[in-house]
Amino acid sequence: MEEVKARNVALNRLRGRATAWFSKPANIILLAFLVALVVLTLYPLLSLLTETFTVHAGREARAARQSAGEFTLYHFERLFATRENDYSRIQFYEPFVNTLTVSLAASLIAILFGGTVAFLVTRTNLKYIKFVSAVFTFPYIMPSWTLALFWETFFKNVNIGLKTSNGIMAAVFGVYMPEWFVYGAFPIALVLGLHYAPYAFILIGTMLRNMDASLEEAATILRTGRFRIIRRITLPVVWPAIMSTFLLVFASSMSAYSVPVFLGSPVRYYMLSTKMKSLIDSYPGQAYIIAGVMILMGMVILLLNQRVTGSRRQYTTVLGKSHQIRRIDLGRANAPLAILLVIVLSLVAVAPLVTFALESVIVKAGDYSLSNMTLDFWVGTDLTRRLDQGDSTGILLNPKVWNALGYSLALALLSAFIAGSCGILVGYGVAKRRGGALANTVNALSFFPYLMPSLAFGAIYLAMSSKVPWLRGFPLLVLVGSVKYLPFASRSGLNAMLQLSGEIEEAAVITGVPWWKRMLRVIFPIQKAGFLSGYLVPMVSCMRELSLFVLLVPTSNAILTTMLMQYSEKGWAQFGNAINLLIIIVVLLVNFIVNRLTGASIDKGVGG
Amino acid sequence: MRRILSLVLSLTMLLCAVPALADVAADVEAGQAMTHDELVEKALAETGTFVVYGNTSRIETAAEAFGALYDIPYEPNNLKDQEIYEKLRYVTGGDAADMVMIQDGAQLTDAIDEGLVVNFVPGSVADALDESDQQPALVHQYINKLFIYNNLGDSVPAIRNVWELTAPEMKGRVIFKSPENEKVNMNFLVMCTKDEWADRLSEAYREWKGEEIDLGSYQNAGYKWVAEFLDNVTFGKSDTSIAEEVSQETAAGTIGLFVLSKLRSSSVLTDNLTVAAYDAVANGYAVEPFAGFMYPMYTMVNTNATRPYTAMLFIEYLMTEEGFKPWGKNIGAYSPNPAFAVNDGDLTIDVWKDALVVEDADYILESFDVEDFVLQHCQN
Repeated sequence: MEEVKARNVALNRLRGRATAWFSKPANIILLAFLVALVVLTLYPLLSLLTETFTVHAGREARAARQSAGEFTLYHFERLFATRENDYSRIQFYEPFVNTLTVSLAASLIAILFGGTVAFLVTRTNLKYIKFVSAVFTFPYIMPSWTLALFWETFFKNVNIGLKTSNGIMAAVFGVYMPEWFVYGAFPIALVLGLHYAPYAFILIGTMLRNMDASLEEAATILRTGRFRIIRRITLPVVWPAIMSTFLLVFASSMSAYSVPVFLGSPVRYYMLSTKMKSLIDSYPGQAYIIAGVMILMGMVILLLNQRVTGSRRQYTTVLGKSHQIRRIDLGRANAPLAILLVIVLSLVAVAPLVTFALESVIVKAGDYSLSNMTLDFWVGTDLTRRLDQGDSTGILLNPKVWNALGYSLALALLSAFIAGSCGILVGYGVAKRRGGALANTVNALSFFPYLMPSLAFGAIYLAMSSKVPWLRGFPLLVLVGSVKYLPFASRSGLNAMLQLSGEIEEAAVITGVPWWKRMLRVIFPIQKAGFLSGYLVPMVSCMRELSLFVLLVPTSNAILTTMLMQYSEKGWAQFGNAINLLIIIVVLLVNFIVNRLTGASIDKGVGG
Repeated sequence: MRRILSLVLSLTMLLCAVPALADVAADVEAGQAMTHDELVEKALAETGTFVVYGNTSRIETAAEAFGALYDIPYEPNNLKDQEIYEKLRYVTGGDAADMVMIQDGAQLTDAIDEGLVVNFVPGSVADALDESDQQPALVHQYINKLFIYNNLGDSVPAIRNVWELTAPEMKGRVIFKSPENEKVNMNFLVMCTKDEWADRLSEAYREWKGEEIDLGSYQNAGYKWVAEFLDNVTFGKSDTSIAEEVSQETAAGTIGLFVLSKLRSSSVLTDNLTVAAYDAVANGYAVEPFAGFMYPMYTMVNTNATRPYTAMLFIEYLMTEEGFKPWGKNIGAYSPNPAFAVNDGDLTIDVWKDALVVEDADYILESFDVEDFVLQHCQN
């Protein structure tokens, strides 16, 4: 009797605890995401790990002298410990060092450039803020290789690289840049740094814009020097954003493929991503080991990142009271600084667009005379006289292009909607239960997809989809897009939530406002800018993504980027450039519409 | 955790399992004995979109003409080799290719062994083609990559012997797509180390230098040439961009090794280029011991095909003069069928077979160490 009673008491207590636990939306959210993320990110990760110990059919089985499907350590021995022909050095160690160097440098460049500009835009009275803020995100909107291509076309000359032609710098200004400047580690890091600087701009900018100015004001009243304020107050407040940026840029740079191919190959500079791509075909085991190493490198930074964001509360910057940021007066430095920024941004953001436009209207490469120009590749109706076969109309009259545009847009919007919404929820759950094991696990799992190189991620999902017959085509692409870009959204969701003081929601809790209403009416509106960047960044990334989708698209003309690649492969550069321009215009247009409808935009997170 | 996951996935697989795929290999065997009309009848009875993968852009034109001829809905996909093999492995159902056009004989041999693709030889061409062009895989065409140089300026690299490309003054003036990025390029370099070509390279060296070759630590003359050739090479992005770059006014003194058919591109300044092999024929000499290399493009039926008879009908169509036209109308693509005339000014397949290195899948498949050797010299 006593026993039963005791058991009942224990059961009731347990039930009570469970009810209390489940009554908190943050717990339910975290649990749901834990289950989903285990299937969608941990399983692919485990599959990847399994692949590194498995013999694959074809050349690999032949070389390993084992049968396909058998357990093996061959891939590890071969990649890490083969001295003959310097195999390990060539295939792994050298590219590994190069990858570390480039990714670190790119991260620093992105943080310094993006962070400084974000500071100037949000905290000073810099001129032309609108232009700077709007144009700064352009390099991110463009596929990264376009900036690489632009760099090469601009600076190449007959003394370096292929030694066959002069770019604008040599041809027009007679300036012949040295090889290290045009090819190799320096330009790869710089291009990647510039490409990903918008991460820093958005993440750091959002923090700076939303931080409580009273901290700095108090310091100013106490006559603290400006640099001391930046070092002791501003920097610590934006530290989580800096770390997030570092993590994002490092992982992205590490798995970037096209940029190292364009700017590295002519001087035989290889990174892990290029080695992975060349190995995945014949020796997938070794390619997956490389992917695993890249994930490991990312995880180390992720752990560092978690240390920063996981345990501290002092980053709350939105306290529910009104605040006015006082902008620093740049004085005489304003105009020169603003002009310098405008010039730099015009070079990295506007000049490539002009180049694409130009390249899409010229017939013979390198000849920019009017007689060599035509709008045929845009609106021509009979291209057979220019191309021996294939598409006979300009891209704007080609139904294939419009279909691909529709497909790409639908894919990008839907993936962004799913990723963005999930990101807010993950951010909410993690922020509310910060420090707890469940929150930390979900936080880490939601970031895993980012650490997986796109190509490997696509390949693993392709293999997984072959076991689930209904998972193919559009739903598969949306799933992959949503999962792969969830990290962006969960990062911005978390950053935004971390800034939000608990008091704000508590006030609504006390008055009995249901959870969904608190989210929609209180939390979302306050941190709209931060949350919306969680939607827009996945949208932009999806629109210009190639390697993630290339194996998964149902047909090679399904989306704009695979179509672009088709045209480049065929040597119809004009079509390729035109489509590239089209992608950028469409993304800008979406940004503009979102801006008009909601007042937010990719750059709006920051100010302007 | 993993066990639970595997269990969940296996259950999902079971629940979602589709009816077993028809045995395409048996269909192909049956198709082999059919007449054209029987094939047409069978193909028209199949449903769904006819899906084609090919690493040649012209497959779109061919599929369009074929689709119109038989009123069959089609979906051509121009993909790279690696993507094709990956998709063959994993894509099933309606999205899966019915038929593929693919290069790299070595990898194809593995794909056949793996059961990814099956060979179909239409009865209409069985007598017209050499046995080696029918088995183990049907060759639809040969493609050649040739030494093509810029003909401007005083230092025109009008080579007559491939050893000239290893001279110090050619450093950085030879442009080639990295063998790491395109397997047929790797295959060519590996082939150079085969005894037959190594001997010819040794002979060519003697002619060039007037003395016997000193191999040093190299196994044979092929290894030596590959190493010294690669030391002078700069890697270009794609054959198209190499053709464009070598043809520039400012590119005097450079030479490329790229597909001849790129000369058709409107962005290439063809007047500035000379094809070494053409110049040799016109002036009565030969580029020693080869003027480039040549590799086959194969047609195969996917074992996951949902329209296998349409795939066979398409292959039959591709082997006709009409079906070959999208490729054959320009220089640089050669049918193995000697009855098909070559373009004006181009050379016949027999001449090319003598003048170029042709890949031998069996040798390549056994030469892993040579690939490592090539990679080593691609990076150093």
